[in-house]
Amino acid sequence: MKYCFQVIPELCTGCRTCELACAFKYAKDGKPGRSRIYPLAHAKDQYVPVVCFQCDDAACVRACMFDALRRNDETGAVELDKERCVKCEACVAACPFGCALTDTDQNEIVKCDLCQGDPVCARFCPEAALKYVEIED
Amino acid sequence: MVKLQINGKTVEAREGEMLLAVMQRMGIEVPTQCHHEAIEPTGNCRLCMVEITKKNWDGWKKCVTSCLYPVEEGLIVETHNDKLFEIRKTILDLQLARSPHSDYVAKMASEYGLEKSSYPVEPQGDDCIMCYACTRICDVLGKSAIAPTMRGHEKIVAGPFGEAPPDCIGCLSCAFICPTDHIKWNDKGNTRTIWDKKFKLIKCKKCGKKTITREFADYLIEKRELPSEYFDTCDICKRQETADTMGALVVKAREATI
Amino acid sequence: MKIDSIAKLDKWRKEIQTKQKAIKTKILICLGPGCLAGGSDKILKEFQTILKKKKIKDVLVESVKKTGCHGFCARGPMVIIEPLGIFYSKVKKVHVKDIIEKTLQKGEIIEKLLYKDPDTDKIYKEWRKIPFYARQQKIALRNVGQIDPDEITDYIVNGGYSALAKILKGMKPDEVIDQVSKSGLRGRGGAGFSTGRKWVTCAKAEENPHYVLCNGDEGDPGAFMDRCIMEGDPHTVLEGMIICAYAVGSQEGYIYVREEYPLAVVNLQKAIDDARKFGLLGDNILGTDLCFDLKISKGGGAFVCGESSALMRSVAGEIGEPRAKYVRSVLKGLHDKPTVLNNVETFANIPVIIEKGADWFAAIGTKKSTGTKAFSLAGKIKNTGLIEVPMGIKLKEIIYDIGGGINDNRKFKAVQTGGPSGGCLPADKLDLEVDFDTLADNGSMMGSGGMVVMDDRTCMVDVSRYFLNFLVEESCGKCVPCREGLFQLHKLNEKICEGKGTEDELKLMENLSKTIISGSLCGLGQSGPNPFLSTIMYFRDEYEAHVKKQECPGGVCKKLITYKINDDCNGCMACLSVCAASAITGKKKEQHTIDEVKCDRCGACYAVCNINAIDII
Repeated sequence: MKYCFQVIPELCTGCRTCELACAFKYAKDGKPGRSRIYPLAHAKDQYVPVVCFQCDDAACVRACMFDALRRNDETGAVELDKERCVKCEACVAACPFGCALTDTDQNEIVKCDLCQGDPVCARFCPEAALKYVEIED
Repeated sequence: MVKLQINGKTVEAREGEMLLAVMQRMGIEVPTQCHHEAIEPTGNCRLCMVEITKKNWDGWKKCVTSCLYPVEEGLIVETHNDKLFEIRKTILDLQLARSPHSDYVAKMASEYGLEKSSYPVEPQGDDCIMCYACTRICDVLGKSAIAPTMRGHEKIVAGPFGEAPPDCIGCLSCAFICPTDHIKWNDKGNTRTIWDKKFKLIKCKKCGKKTITREFADYLIEKRELPSEYFDTCDICKRQETADTMGALVVKAREATI
Repeated sequence: MKIDSIAKLDKWRKEIQTKQKAIKTKILICLGPGCLAGGSDKILKEFQTILKKKKIKDVLVESVKKTGCHGFCARGPMVIIEPLGIFYSKVKKVHVKDIIEKTLQKGEIIEKLLYKDPDTDKIYKEWRKIPFYARQQKIALRNVGQIDPDEITDYIVNGGYSALAKILKGMKPDEVIDQVSKSGLRGRGGAGFSTGRKWVTCAKAEENPHYVLCNGDEGDPGAFMDRCIMEGDPHTVLEGMIICAYAVGSQEGYIYVREEYPLAVVNLQKAIDDARKFGLLGDNILGTDLCFDLKISKGGGAFVCGESSALMRSVAGEIGEPRAKYVRSVLKGLHDKPTVLNNVETFANIPVIIEKGADWFAAIGTKKSTGTKAFSLAGKIKNTGLIEVPMGIKLKEIIYDIGGGINDNRKFKAVQTGGPSGGCLPADKLDLEVDFDTLADNGSMMGSGGMVVMDDRTCMVDVSRYFLNFLVEESCGKCVPCREGLFQLHKLNEKICEGKGTEDELKLMENLSKTIISGSLCGLGQSGPNPFLSTIMYFRDEYEAHVKKQECPGGVCKKLITYKINDDCNGCMACLSVCAASAITGKKKEQHTIDEVKCDRCGACYAVCNINAIDII
């Protein structure tokens, strides 16, 4: 069984619940700035949630010289092995979508790992603009 | 799979796995300094030493570094005893004499009841503990710009002939991996300085934020076949670009349905 | 000319024999390191120039031969006239004319150049009868000092490459290994690992290619056995390696030589080039399927590169640091491939073992340490030089019978064996039989064969300080116990030499030694505290005198001694003239005095005074 994370930007109302859910899960104080999903305005009052695409041939994986980014075949996510990460920021610089970033507070690289198979953002999205769905192989 | 005994408990491990990895999985803590997942183990710090024996060794034991010793069928491992405590304590005691100003060493030493060194203090000018993490990470990167040079107590990590390393690309991996945090670097304006070498930082063509060095980007572009335009803008601007592209698609779709 | 069959080699050997028979008298001039320093190269030239002009019956210019180290370095430069074996020692250029005119032309012996035993006043004409030589048995050094190392013909006429021919004629590789195993040969580099077992493991290893390495990185202070073999008989090393290559199935080998041995490099290179030219190295050796080639790999002279894993990394062009992999280098050695690494002396034994058989070799020496061992005698001993003796010989025999005893007939205090990480054995251990296990059981080790003899004017605390200093400088600095531990051990030892040590620190040193031994990564660190441990084991009283009474019983530690001139002084002014610090005053034929403040305790006055009028207090 494989899963796929779907973003349906048309349904996004810009409520920013996803951002808060993520921030509460990954940053103790729930600072929205620490989220791994970014509802961004592309026009006045119009938002789209930008989040890691878990690209097939991911630039971040290629850029990591230390093999710290690897795909988890079960969840489909590209995961960061913190024990291997040196924080050189090659992935941050290489990701064409700007979805890997440095958390300067925690001094670590941050990127979406689909919450190990249970993305909180999708769970909390009131408009079902974010979905984590089963797909056929 | 092989079966072995660690601190009296029987565990299974994959062939070729190192003792330290098995111990960590079991939650057994031994101090380490030179160990890092991203680099090859070298056994410099000797802190992860354990005592091993086998049934047919007639009680003979030997001390080995667990980071380098592969699991073996029937191995009996002891990770904490008086002898090992003494070895670890003496090593930290010696480091305390060498690097009296290092918080990192002081913290580890205090766990062994050491406030100050029993030996004459001989600071070497910096807090380097010769764990080679920096040179090894540079080797993994494929640059080997810095290396341990000289011998014995005078040993230092430096570029060739003690000069600015020509192969350095200013990625800062060495500075970030350094456990005692003593590799000095700074970013001033558009310039990064490390190992006495200056680098140009890439300026985001949209907002002007500085990202990585030009040399590092070029290395990644060439070595990992990445498009060079990925490196032209910073992560924030790239994210906004993504939002804009997605937004445009939404608008287009909406217009199409109307 | 390629020698492409064993028959051709035999034929060639016969040809050389006939040719060499024409030269009836041979004048062997030692060009070993000691004699060379004494100017033996000039003596060689002088012989050649004079003989070119003179016509003497049975003596030709070709009669003059340069050889490697003849062994008796204390008496160098040496000239030996064969076949009579006339031994002229301490020869100078001016003596050459005399030797030619008297000995070569008229058959007269020049008595003043002969060796005179200082104890018995007996004069020896023939070198083989001199006690220094008479007690020795030479296997590895059999040709050193007898042949011209540059001439492959000299090696061949002395039976060279016949062991190789023997195995190629009808021995299978495992039969060769069997012979080596049966001979009981153990690695001569120091650890004494069974050579046969090493070869079996490598031969059986499935991975390919296999490498053969020769360790010529002799780094112990005062050791020069391997150097003399490489300089004086390079072909024996080559032959040993080729035999090994045949046995373990290798096609590529390296000889690792330190660059401080320039002559060894030159001579080995010449030997390799010659061997290649005559088809003894390269493809299809002696017309058989055996293919093996050799290269010299030059080391920068780091002591630690004598350690197997560091040596292999150095050969591979990496940093010469030991590697802590718990896999034996015989399975994962050079380039992580199966590798046999043996010492120069080990390889030098191989051709003889093959030729004379394992049983012959195993009968020499002791049961567990068979064969002979080369030693370099150095220190306060009369007959310094290079020797080879059967294993199991008593230390006493080496030092007194061969070595001639202590300089100035002073009292023996200790002998240091096994190089800097070996240990010091005191007088009551002189009856020990020298072999791998006995020495190790007594807190020392065989090592590569350095032997430094010390007399009663030696301070053992200072000796420990000296060797620790060497090890601190030669530690590669990779692991903490060796880098920091030896450094601190040396510092504390230095403090004791200055009279500032405490009993607590002595205890601290003993504890620290334990951690260095069990905590270090390679052999250098693991044996690093040995100079301290073996001296404190046998000479604890000296340490205690330094610590408790601030006294140096050996009269060496500068901070703890003062020189005083006693009433015996006859005012000869000898001490006054050598004193660099101008600390000595006094008129001629009147008692002198030393100004304690000005005196920098160099000991020059003490050494120069013939009537023992200077005391060390």
